[in-house]
Amino acid sequence: MKYTTFSREQNDALKEPMFFGNPVNVSRYDQQKYPIFEQLIEKQLSFFWRPEEVDVSKDRIDYQSLPAHEQHIFISNLKYQTLLDSIQGRSPNVALLPLVSIPELETWIETWAFSETIHSRSYTHIIRNIVKDPSEIFDDIVLNEEILKRAEDISGYYDELIDATRQYQEFGEGEHTLPSGETITVSLRALKRKLYMCVMSVNVLEAIRFYVSFACSFAFAERELMEGNAKIIRLIARDEALHLTSTQHMINIMASGEDDPEMAEIAIECHQDAIEVFRFAAEQEKAWASYLFKDGSMIGLNEAILSQYVEYITNVRMQAIGLPKIFETSENPIPWINTWLASDSVQVAPQEVEVSSYLVGQIDNSVDVDDLSDFSL
Amino acid sequence: MTDNPNDKPSTKRPWVFIQGQQAFQFDAQQHDSLLEAMEAHKVPVHFECRSGYCGACRTTTLDGDVNYQHQPIAFIRKGEILPCCCQPTTDITLVQD
Repeated sequence: MKYTTFSREQNDALKEPMFFGNPVNVSRYDQQKYPIFEQLIEKQLSFFWRPEEVDVSKDRIDYQSLPAHEQHIFISNLKYQTLLDSIQGRSPNVALLPLVSIPELETWIETWAFSETIHSRSYTHIIRNIVKDPSEIFDDIVLNEEILKRAEDISGYYDELIDATRQYQEFGEGEHTLPSGETITVSLRALKRKLYMCVMSVNVLEAIRFYVSFACSFAFAERELMEGNAKIIRLIARDEALHLTSTQHMINIMASGEDDPEMAEIAIECHQDAIEVFRFAAEQEKAWASYLFKDGSMIGLNEAILSQYVEYITNVRMQAIGLPKIFETSENPIPWINTWLASDSVQVAPQEVEVSSYLVGQIDNSVDVDDLSDFSL
Repeated sequence: MTDNPNDKPSTKRPWVFIQGQQAFQFDAQQHDSLLEAMEAHKVPVHFECRSGYCGACRTTTLDGDVNYQHQPIAFIRKGEILPCCCQPTTDITLVQD
């Protein structure tokens, strides 16, 4: 029950479940129970980028020429993105690492959270460039009621899981009376349930909440405004697609029961709760759309269109993990967003400041003798 | 080569059926992926990354086989394909929701 940073148990990692088995001891990747997590790590590493590679200097001029209500949309959106990545840069590590039991998943979680910290650093890069005093923006994130409402919902699942894990590690299963007189019941099944719902909520964050914010960022760039920002957001979106895929894999592996039969029971028990997590987040995102456009719309995007996109993307993401869709909408009201989300439509000219399709560290080691057959001396 | 849709196995230009309707023939000379061909034939399909890692184009199939140019990273169940990174190798029937 107690977490150890190096378990002496001579276990076979291939027989461990993803979570709640023995803590990982040797970080080895020569064998994998779920090779998909190793593939995700490699893909994420090949996506590596740094905010400083992207020139955002023109955005300052663009920003100053925006009308006040569009500045509100841009800055509020950026604040929301900053909040999401602040949470994601640490929470997968803090909440999930103490529970994980296979090395490839452990390393994927660390790689995932690390990439979120790059995103956080890039918001500072953007904000520093467009305003004189970044503190005005950052300080408001913990004051702004609209942002706090979402923060509470997103971090709530993580915090509950972290607290339940702590109790499990400290007391073990059973009924316990705390020094305060309070009686608590600790059960592994209840903890597994918290994990399942936490991963579900993270999936919603990665798969819906982020995409609503991307829509706003790209709507500016569609008008050739704030393009440095959009270049960065495009790199972030590429990373987020991997993160949402990883949470979909985790959810589907859990639900399949092949990994931990109890998790499959929990997935069935939590079916309705999972639907409600999606529904609640979608409604919250629509309320956010109303806040963003409270002083006026922008060309190409308004409250109604963004709300319809929320419904569309919610349906798509629910079906991906085997949940029924909950909205009538089946059309993407902003098809242009896909051009920004497509990784192969990035036209790369040498004079561009950053090359987003450039894969760092991707080397083809499999050279056959036949490959050299055209050469002659 | 024949255009007969019943001529299943070794067709070089496999037929793509959608909801039981014969939709188009996939021509690898013209299109790198099934997704590109679907778009060219105005078949509505979701997409985002177009590289096999986001899963947005996930499509259910009733029969038929595909070949992936790159092994996709996105989650797919048995009977599902990612048109963005595959080519049909036999006649194939797609289901749209």
